[in-house]
Amino acid sequence: MITAERLTKRYGDKTAVDAIDFTVRPGAVTGFLGPNGAGKSTTMRMVMGLDHPSGGRVTVNGRAYRELPAPLHEVGALLEAKAIHGGRSAYNHLLWLAKTNGISRRRVDEVIGLVGLEAVAHKRSGGFSLGMGQRLGIAAALLGDPGVLLFDEPVNGLDPEGIRWIRNLIRALAAEGRTVFVSSHLMSEMALTADHLLVIGRGQILADTDMADFIARNSAAHVRVRSPQGGVLAEALRERGWTIRRDDDGALLVDGATPEQIGDIAGSRGLYLHELSVVNASLEEAFMRLTADSVEYHARTDQPVPAGV
Amino acid sequence: MTTSTTLTPPAPSPARRADVGRPRLTFGRILDAEWTKIRTVRSTVWTLTSLFVLSVGLTALICSVAAGDLASGGGGGEPVGAFVTWGLMFGQIAALVLGILVATAEYSSGMIRTTLAAAPRRWSVLAAKTTVLTGLLLVLGTITSTAAIIAGNFFLDREGIGFSLGDSDVLRTMIGGGLYLAVLGVFGLALGLLMRHTAGAVTVGIALIFIVGNLVGLVPGAAGEWLTKLMPGNAGSTLATVESFNPDLLGPWTGFGVFAGETALLLLIAGWLFSRRDA
Repeated sequence: MITAERLTKRYGDKTAVDAIDFTVRPGAVTGFLGPNGAGKSTTMRMVMGLDHPSGGRVTVNGRAYRELPAPLHEVGALLEAKAIHGGRSAYNHLLWLAKTNGISRRRVDEVIGLVGLEAVAHKRSGGFSLGMGQRLGIAAALLGDPGVLLFDEPVNGLDPEGIRWIRNLIRALAAEGRTVFVSSHLMSEMALTADHLLVIGRGQILADTDMADFIARNSAAHVRVRSPQGGVLAEALRERGWTIRRDDDGALLVDGATPEQIGDIAGSRGLYLHELSVVNASLEEAFMRLTADSVEYHARTDQPVPAGV
Repeated sequence: MTTSTTLTPPAPSPARRADVGRPRLTFGRILDAEWTKIRTVRSTVWTLTSLFVLSVGLTALICSVAAGDLASGGGGGEPVGAFVTWGLMFGQIAALVLGILVATAEYSSGMIRTTLAAAPRRWSVLAAKTTVLTGLLLVLGTITSTAAIIAGNFFLDREGIGFSLGDSDVLRTMIGGGLYLAVLGVFGLALGLLMRHTAGAVTVGIALIFIVGNLVGLVPGAAGEWLTKLMPGNAGSTLATVESFNPDLLGPWTGFGVFAGETALLLLIAGWLFSRRDA
């Protein structure tokens, strides 16, 4: 369990994390989603006691990180790929790490096996590929068999095989009842792994929601229709009670209707159609809309159709 | 802002199947971990090898070349005792670099965050690093200065101007070499922790210890004299020489006390920043 209360981090005038509150619960994967620079890594470093909060507090299992009697046994973290001295072997890296908390050598061998690095365990880690470095980082995170795990952008730069491996691992860790907190800037990745979603943008929590709810609310399809007589068509469609937005190029985006219904209406009134298609709203778009709205005034791609069009 | 209505079900107790021993963070364990770190990288082997080879080799070389001149009263009246640890002037750079690397190698790789996640008590981490470095350099430094003295003295002996190895100043120098190099290593550690950058810390360290120490003598009057006496390299190294080239420096133990004090102060400042800065 990770709990943040009014957690704040300022660098000079810039507020990287702005008084956020959240709870990461055991037995589920909590996705921490936000664009680059939103404050994800800073928040994770504050959870780990690496960065000092400018205000508020964050606890792990009810205690500040620095007060944990055996930190590796309670929290495991993969914060950056290859934060390893390149001249040291994977085995020796895990060995010194185990020693800090009094973890047995047997466990070192065990985690090396768990991540499949047996063959290269005694080679200098400087020659490791990104994927191997990531596996070593995960071995380090699992070393103390912790109940809380943090992964900062774990799939970045990995090949499909590595990505799948990490996804399965993350799911499995949560299924064992552990608290799993995973950051990403990719909605599609979160949709596959997370049970719960925390969306952060410019240092603020924009959404704290169940993943299934988020998908249900945001994955509805709409119909895109373009006609030279767009105004007349919009009026006709609105009479049927459908919500209509206008796209940048003048096309109408109709929620709740099927293309057949729209085509029939157009045909019955003798309106020309230049385009009629179903558009599946992607979660990625929903996420971008969410972060764009509250973060900056972007040019919007879909604006409400002014009355009288 | 939406808050979930379906909260995650209450936590089942984590399935802990792994036997990880009895984890608990203690100073002894941090110390063990730091010892494991320092002995598992090649840079330690390389710096300690250069410390030994440069110190002993250059001492033997200069003594074999200069012994004849010194015996016949030549050599510009240089004190004979300054020659038997001459190579340490160069070898000591390795001790400084080793100390710097103990801190900066963690920052250049990002490993410092792994270290502090495993052991979040930062003063304990610094104390462990200092202890390991001091112990290692104390032993290696004493062996090095003793070997240098024996090697250098071999050539001086042949010209009849050698020292008795039981001479109190010679014995003091054998131990003094270890003490001086250990504190010099800690000076490097403090500097590395302050600067968090290998090249920068090495440059500043070498400049402070070896260059500025010789330049401050140019400051006129008593100020220049005192600055020369108090500069870390000058104050500390007297303990590691049987006789100093510069007779105006502080006595061996007084000088070493000054050097140790300066190092302690630098280490405290570095530690204070280390405990407060974001990693």
